[in-house]
Amino acid sequence: MAQPFVKKDDDDEEAEYSPFLGIEKGAVLQEARVFNDPQLDPRRCSQVITKLLYLLNQGETFTKVEATEVFFAVTKLFQSRDIGLRRMVYLMIKELSPCADEVIIVTSSLMKDMNSKTDMYRANAIRVLCRITDGTLLTQIERYLKQAIVDKNPVVASAALVSGIHILQTNPEIVKRWSNEVQEAVQSRAALVQFHALALLHQIRQNDRLAVSKLVTSLTRGSVRSPLAQCLLIRYTSQVIHESASNSQTGERPFFDYLESCLRHKAEMVILEAARAITELNGVTSRELTPAITVLQLFLSSSKPVLRFAAIRTLNKVAMTHPMAVTNCNIDMESLISDQNRSIATLAITTLLKTGNESSVDRLMKQITNFMSDIADEFKIVVVEAIRSLCLKFPLKYRSLMNFLSNILREEGGFEYKKAIIDSIVILIRDIPEAKESGLLHLCEFIEDCEFTYLSTQILHFLGIEGPKTSDPSKYIRYIYNRVHLENATVRASAVSTMAKFGAKVESLKPRIFVLLRRCLLDSDDEVRDRATLYLNTLGGHGSEVETDENMNEFLFGSLEVPLVNLETSLKNYEPSDESFDINSVPKEIKSQPLAEKKAPGKKPATGLAAPPSGPATTVDAYERLLSSIAEFSSFGKLFKSSAPVELTEAGTEYTVNVVKHIFDRHVVFQYNCTNTIPEVLLENVAVIVDSSDAEEFSEVASKPLPSLPYDSPGQTFVAFEKPDGVTAIGKFSNILKFIVKEVDPSTGEAEEDGVEDEYQLEDLEVVAADYILKVGVSNFRNAWESMGADYERVDEYGLGPRENLTEAVNAVINLLGMQPCEGTEVVPSNSRSHSCLLSGVYIGNVKVLVRLSFGIDGQRDVAMKLAVRSEDESVSDAIHEIVASG
Amino acid sequence: MGLWEAFLNWLRSLFFKQEMELSLIGLQNAGKTSLVNVVATGGYSEDMIPTVGFNMRKVTKGNVTIKLWDLGGQPRFRSMWERYCRAVSAIVYVVDAADPDNLSISKSELHDLLGKPSLNGIPLLVLGNKIDKPGALSKQALMDQMGLKSITDREVCCFMISCKNSTNIDSVIDWLVKHSKSKN
Repeated sequence: MAQPFVKKDDDDEEAEYSPFLGIEKGAVLQEARVFNDPQLDPRRCSQVITKLLYLLNQGETFTKVEATEVFFAVTKLFQSRDIGLRRMVYLMIKELSPCADEVIIVTSSLMKDMNSKTDMYRANAIRVLCRITDGTLLTQIERYLKQAIVDKNPVVASAALVSGIHILQTNPEIVKRWSNEVQEAVQSRAALVQFHALALLHQIRQNDRLAVSKLVTSLTRGSVRSPLAQCLLIRYTSQVIHESASNSQTGERPFFDYLESCLRHKAEMVILEAARAITELNGVTSRELTPAITVLQLFLSSSKPVLRFAAIRTLNKVAMTHPMAVTNCNIDMESLISDQNRSIATLAITTLLKTGNESSVDRLMKQITNFMSDIADEFKIVVVEAIRSLCLKFPLKYRSLMNFLSNILREEGGFEYKKAIIDSIVILIRDIPEAKESGLLHLCEFIEDCEFTYLSTQILHFLGIEGPKTSDPSKYIRYIYNRVHLENATVRASAVSTMAKFGAKVESLKPRIFVLLRRCLLDSDDEVRDRATLYLNTLGGHGSEVETDENMNEFLFGSLEVPLVNLETSLKNYEPSDESFDINSVPKEIKSQPLAEKKAPGKKPATGLAAPPSGPATTVDAYERLLSSIAEFSSFGKLFKSSAPVELTEAGTEYTVNVVKHIFDRHVVFQYNCTNTIPEVLLENVAVIVDSSDAEEFSEVASKPLPSLPYDSPGQTFVAFEKPDGVTAIGKFSNILKFIVKEVDPSTGEAEEDGVEDEYQLEDLEVVAADYILKVGVSNFRNAWESMGADYERVDEYGLGPRENLTEAVNAVINLLGMQPCEGTEVVPSNSRSHSCLLSGVYIGNVKVLVRLSFGIDGQRDVAMKLAVRSEDESVSDAIHEIVASG
Repeated sequence: MGLWEAFLNWLRSLFFKQEMELSLIGLQNAGKTSLVNVVATGGYSEDMIPTVGFNMRKVTKGNVTIKLWDLGGQPRFRSMWERYCRAVSAIVYVVDAADPDNLSISKSELHDLLGKPSLNGIPLLVLGNKIDKPGALSKQALMDQMGLKSITDREVCCFMISCKNSTNIDSVIDWLVKHSKSKN
């Protein structure tokens, strides 16, 4: 009997619709005339305002005339003493916020309300007034606002504090004068007041690191009762920890005890915030992680979905960096796979994929397969990405994972989802040689029935590069040639290119490829015909003179040396004449360089189809092009490595400078990226004076100053050093930024004639051994190690002295060498006494290096390490040992 | 029906209060807010701050409730006067009678306002304030200088008052109360 009732209830809920459904702006504006009635009906007026607010929130816009009309009508409602209506009036004024010269009409009324005896009037009037006010009026009402901050009524105090947070953006100097009152409010008994006061106090001080630190120090001693404020305080604390961590690497972390004590707080929100803060600490140790993971584990079995979600989401993030720490929760997470909430289930699955060991992979895959059809595309993408990283971690499991990917590839799905799958397969093919053949076949199958032109062309391009290298290239031809029959012109054209690549690489297929290409000569599309003709000629299919193999390969597989944008503009500017177009005349300099660079650190380097097959990060490409476009550096040869930008100034200073170290075989180039953050100033002749007296092996050979550095548009200046060939010279450099300052008239934007010479001290810069080693991973370390052979193996043992734990020791060595950890071995299981870590990299001079580290820790926390190096060059193996010995 | 309606109105007026709505305008520092205070509470203060925007006051005199829109007189508010004068029972225009320099501006603002079609026929009460000060104009001079004679399309009345000494405030109230009745 209960069933139908419940059912009916559900239906009712669904049938319930907004009372405002289908109201029209014009009609409501008509209704708004009731505001002008001599006898006001507060109830009616409130309803009309609600409708107006509804319309505004639905994205309806009022014209200037309409808004003005409504606004003035609403102001007339100040005559009513109805509290509910007055509240709607406040809301309406805030939402409409008409232009400044009109809104000022309500100032006096609001000021009166601000000092009213009704708390609700006071609170809301403060909010509205602060929203519409300007600087001059603010000084007039400042006295009242200060009073309101310490008002007995929490609603009023909160309103004033929140308004303070808003005003701080526009008139910081006024709000800063309220410090005393705000400090008093932090001690308030009301939860919300404390929360808002803390937020404001922090914002007032946020640019003063020392003050924030003091604030945190005094408050963590325990006067904050409100859970919300406690959460804020935890955030500020972790910020302070983050900033101070760089100063004191050793010793106890400040405030950690506080965070830990918050894990035992009554409120779940505080516990969660503290756990999150701990997991996000820089270089968190497993001892520090354990208590946080424990409370999160408890949340996993909570009855509240929101807690489960928050916990699993945090654990998911932890699993990316410390998978071992999360393994304790595996059982709890497995039960979440069947959670009703799909978001929780997805996160549980992906976390498990990260923490699981090799043996559990198959079981997990089975569970995921059941569950994939129930979730939305965006979650599927998350799962696909997790599977990709899992496959890279356990290369031996590629078969089942690849099968899974090909299965889901066949199912329905949007472009982004399919692209994620394709990207994953491509990456797996690249990194796991065994997976190549089956992966390529999966891709071939996919393009047989692919509705996305973009994906088809990308896969065809990829096939052209990888296909000819396989044991039996001929089996791919069918799939490719089918495209010529079945697809649109774009895909047909790329199929022609792909076939040509097969023809060029595989001599035995050439005659058959010619037959196919000749058929394409009759295609209906120009581009397809053109390509077919071109390739037939270059490959010699017309019996004309055959290009040399090298030229042909360069033509088919080489990359374009000039940026496409520049080539396009040059071609547009080219006027047909007797003189043929000269590709060398295309400028190689990249115009949008500063912008691209700014974005680069935040963005993951593009992987997948878009990247060239050998897969260097796009930033490196960009750097290389930039450097080779500068005449002074063009003779330095091939760029070996570019470091990540190192900040040489603190955040928020007048000029911000960071440096990128470019390493060449015999040279080092420092690229200083400078930004001028003062609008009133133009810098000219910007150069960095480098003192290399602490770096004896380096001698300065060139420098390229920056002619001018206007406000907020980054520019680069370079200094180049020569160093002995093949030696990993290291040293310390001190830098001074030198420039001519010119004042800029803010109204015209023109700089004054005369400038003043000035200097700006930058922080020191070091070239370390890690700069000479590229992080290049190998998918199967064992294979690589065996195939390298023991000819140049060097083994030695080192004592690393007392350490906090093994993780710290492992990370120290990894950072020292700057090599890529393989197979997830950089993660040390908690409390383990010994650990092996595998590293791979490329040493300057393009010498492959593999390193095997074995660590052990004894009761006194003394760490010993055995270091085994294999490389293609004896001297390199020795060099690695030297780096460790001197580090 | 009309008779029945009128009878009902008359009955209502016996039992219920009558309402009227006024807007109070004039150049800044003419004494509008002071006048409101004097009418409402009888109190007077030398120390006033300029009205930014408007003040809304309700005052009860006898059985008449008067809604007063006391508007700011600074130039930035003058364009908005008209919005608060629509459909009021009477417009009260306050002039500083002891400030001859600004009279011409006051006059042109008044005539601009009255030219608005939305305000057609609304009675106008011009008050020459601050007659306690030496050098204040006489009523006749004020009427001449304000060009009140030329206003023919509505009822116009003029009083000389002093908020400071509460001179003539009674007659102002009488005039207002009378207009609330005549309107009904």
